[in-house]
Amino acid sequence: MRRAALLFAYSLKRVRALALVTGLLLAALQMVLIFVAGSIQKSGGFDQLSALLPPFARALLGPSVATFMSFSGIVCLGYFELAVMGALIAMAITLGTTPASEIESGFMDLILARPLPRHWIITRTAVLTLFVTGALLALMVAGTGAGLRLFAPKNVPWPSPKLIASLAINLGMLALCWGGLASAIGARSSRRSVAGGTAGLLAFAAFLMDYVGRLWQPAESIAWLSPFRYYNPFDLIMGNPLPLQDLVVLGAISAAGFGAAYFLFARRDIAR
Amino acid sequence: MAPISIRGLTKRYGHIVAVNDLSLEVAPGEILGFLGLNGAGKTTTIRILLDLLRPSGGSAAILGHDCQSDGLRARVNVGYLPGEMGIYSDMTGREVLDLLAKLNDQLVDDKRRRELQERLEFPDSDLRRRLREYSTGMKRKLGIIQAFQSDPLLLILDEPTEGLDPLMQESFYQLLVDVKSRGRTVFMSSHVLSEVERVCDRIALVRKGELVLLAGIEETRNLAARQVRILFAEELTSISEIPTPVLPPGTDILDSGPRWWNLKVEGPLGPLLRAIAALPVQDLEITEAKLEDVVLKYYREGGSGRKRPTP
Repeated sequence: MRRAALLFAYSLKRVRALALVTGLLLAALQMVLIFVAGSIQKSGGFDQLSALLPPFARALLGPSVATFMSFSGIVCLGYFELAVMGALIAMAITLGTTPASEIESGFMDLILARPLPRHWIITRTAVLTLFVTGALLALMVAGTGAGLRLFAPKNVPWPSPKLIASLAINLGMLALCWGGLASAIGARSSRRSVAGGTAGLLAFAAFLMDYVGRLWQPAESIAWLSPFRYYNPFDLIMGNPLPLQDLVVLGAISAAGFGAAYFLFARRDIAR
Repeated sequence: MAPISIRGLTKRYGHIVAVNDLSLEVAPGEILGFLGLNGAGKTTTIRILLDLLRPSGGSAAILGHDCQSDGLRARVNVGYLPGEMGIYSDMTGREVLDLLAKLNDQLVDDKRRRELQERLEFPDSDLRRRLREYSTGMKRKLGIIQAFQSDPLLLILDEPTEGLDPLMQESFYQLLVDVKSRGRTVFMSSHVLSEVERVCDRIALVRKGELVLLAGIEETRNLAARQVRILFAEELTSISEIPTPVLPPGTDILDSGPRWWNLKVEGPLGPLLRAIAALPVQDLEITEAKLEDVVLKYYREGGSGRKRPTP
């Protein structure tokens, strides 16, 4: 167990700079968003922005548009903005494909030539993905808290801590889901670029599938296959509770991914 | 208990057979040179021993533990030097050594590490540097230190002197002599026949995945014909009373003059000496066969008969 912890600590050390920079950037983005939202709020721009929205956009966004076009809505944007989601998912995919990277570099030979069970490699990867994703979200939430304290105008309602926590948890589960899938792909691959690229393309395809499903009714029949379907930030902003079912689905995909990684990695040849 | 025991080991990649029905045992305290051309199956065999690759058939065991079903115990007392050190360039040498020592779960004696550093002329200042600043030779030295630092019972070395300068190669050979004297076993693959001839007790030669020769160094040398030059005290043509000797089987005259013969002799010299006993022999020059003469013959021709002497 001590050696498993050592392996985890070593892996964490390797990604700490990337994780820290990503986390700080995400936290900074939250603060910038709050600063922008505060500026719009002070200038009374939310009403004007709402009026500028074309009718089809209103129809598309539904009643959530009113909630979104508010200080609180813009603050929450930091948890479903495309770049933020992309950064978190990319990080999870990077971490999930760590074994492929270690095989590619040859470092896996040195690790597994020691009396270390192979399943520790995947356990390390899963814990690392969970830990770093959690840390990134914690930094984002910290950025939101700091931003609200620094830049929020007086007398404007803040998004509730529960809403922020719900968004963060749901987003985190989405990232973990892709971490698990990337881990399964990475457990069969000997090149991180191949594993990461495959997982990234899959994520992009799934995102498009969900996006099209939301816009075009016929595509709805297959959109449920996309993990993005189980992250509905607008529902949360509208005040709906965090849907446990969505979390279970994302968690199950993640668990299945890591489970497949255990299975595949235990049986494969370690060869570059 | 044999440090390494391989029985009927086979590894296939689709239709390609990388290792075919390989069987051999490495005796305790011996240094076995594992020879073969590129792609002969040396590294594949080594990787199966370390459970990095799974065999298609047969089995391999280290110190009595099956490499696949009991791989963790099999690898407890193994030091491994890969052909290519896959280490991250942003780590320092010391970080690499510390991490790998701790992952091995074996205490690394500082004195032992320092001794290895001294032997390989690898000062602390080099250990503090990041690997991106290392030359190929320095990486190799680091690899040797990480393999030897826990003083394992069995060392599996893949092309250990690749990239080392001649002085360091010499130090490495001394290191092998030292570990052998302390009863450690070494299984090393190599392309360098002179080093195998110098440090190994036996060689195992693989060709296209098959073991084609397993024999002691001396015995292998004896598989090649020796050259014998016989100098006579007087011209043989002037001695009419001596009958022309019948040379024993396995002896051919390569060249001859009035007072000398050049012969190629396969096998023991006794029959030849008996055959020329009546001749006025003044001197005999015996040129020992070189290991490479035999090995190259096996490489080229794919000699078949397996020699399996007792270790």
